[in-house]
Amino acid sequence: MVGLRIAVGLALAVLVGGAAFYILTMPRGLPAATLAALPEGDASHGETVFWTGGCASCHAAPGAQGDDLLRLGGGLVIKSDFGDFVSPNISPHPEDGVGGWSPADFANAMQRGVSPDGRHYYPAFPYTSYIRMDPADVADLWAFLQTLPRVAGAQRGPDLAFPFNIRRGVGLWKLAFLTDAPAIAIDSAYTLALRGRYLVEGPGHCAECHTPRNRAGALDRSAWMAGAPNPDGEGRIPNITGGEGGIGAWSAGDVAYYLETGFTPDFDSVGGSMAAVQRNTAKLPGGDRNAIAAYLKLLPPQSSGSWGAAGP
Amino acid sequence: MKSLPIGFAALVALCHPAFAQDDAVAVRKALMDSVAASAAVSGGVMKGEIDYVPAIGKAAIEAINATAQSYGFFFPEGTDGETDSRSTASPKIWTDRAGFDAEIAKLQAAVGAAREAGGKDGPADAAAFAAAIEPVLGTCRSCHEGYRIKR
Repeated sequence: MVGLRIAVGLALAVLVGGAAFYILTMPRGLPAATLAALPEGDASHGETVFWTGGCASCHAAPGAQGDDLLRLGGGLVIKSDFGDFVSPNISPHPEDGVGGWSPADFANAMQRGVSPDGRHYYPAFPYTSYIRMDPADVADLWAFLQTLPRVAGAQRGPDLAFPFNIRRGVGLWKLAFLTDAPAIAIDSAYTLALRGRYLVEGPGHCAECHTPRNRAGALDRSAWMAGAPNPDGEGRIPNITGGEGGIGAWSAGDVAYYLETGFTPDFDSVGGSMAAVQRNTAKLPGGDRNAIAAYLKLLPPQSSGSWGAAGP
Repeated sequence: MKSLPIGFAALVALCHPAFAQDDAVAVRKALMDSVAASAAVSGGVMKGEIDYVPAIGKAAIEAINATAQSYGFFFPEGTDGETDSRSTASPKIWTDRAGFDAEIAKLQAAVGAAREAGGKDGPADAAAFAAAIEPVLGTCRSCHEGYRIKR
């Protein structure tokens, strides 16, 4: 009898645990009201959103230049501690890309990391930042994507080690780390810096490279923009706060000039993976570059040594 | 006693600082600093912070040309940024030397065109200088994108 009780108890525990896991990790899209209120997108503004988001850096063919940046067939392999992620085809190709999606499908993917068939995306896709976007900007971006060339060829899925290959587990990760709360509090009087915060923490997703990550692969908000190991392998991503090793000596004008021309105050030029980012920021309205600069100048100073044991 | 001069000579050889021309990393950093200084003058002119005279434009263009002609000679084996902590040269320079040389050739071509446009005295006015120098400065990025590491 005791044995039976234990067996029943264990079975119940597994059932309850399984049910809890199932419910907790259920992929959840945007609220129905948000989806219902999605405006008709404006493709020309969507192009500005496209460059702000730097979509081409991952979704165009690696090394693409000029018009090839608009061919979003994917294929970039991102090597991580968890395994390899492959950027998908987001061209409007009806089978291999996102041509068959609805605007709501796209908004759920961008802002909640949920696919049209109701599965979690891994946060290598920075919906962790895009969750802070204005849904109207997402709708505009969607409209712009419709105007781009259809690229044939679907990409393979991620190649991850156990247990990270259990997609449902991303649901737990989202419960712990996915938030639309701003990383940096800014007084409502600073309208320029608030616009900058929107661009940097939302579509620009700057923190995804410039902020170090914890063991679960989530951004360490206590070291916001302190710089981090280069995900590409070589060297480091710089500290862009005003702290030691950062850009405290740069004026807001210097930051905006860098984003426009690619030259630092010492007239060193932009390099590495930032070169592609800067080609994008050069296409933004000047006011948006000034806004990004105003936000960066308000960041709490961080020392470059504050991320990881490796040090600068 | 005979061993003393030999020992002394060995000591001198050990302590003697390397000749500057033996230190490729130091040379190429100096060359690149001269380009940065020329780029700073160019940026100052284009932003209207420096009053332009043709001699300024000529000096900037010629300094960059001197680097463009010599820079590629200072990348011996074993001086990449992962071997020498002073350097930010990507190991890719040695694994893809042809690509690196192509980047230097782009710089040489751009600065050659700027010299031609400027003539004997340098570009005549700030607008002519900007038109001549912008394609030159545009070559910095693609080389730094692929062949430099950040630390």
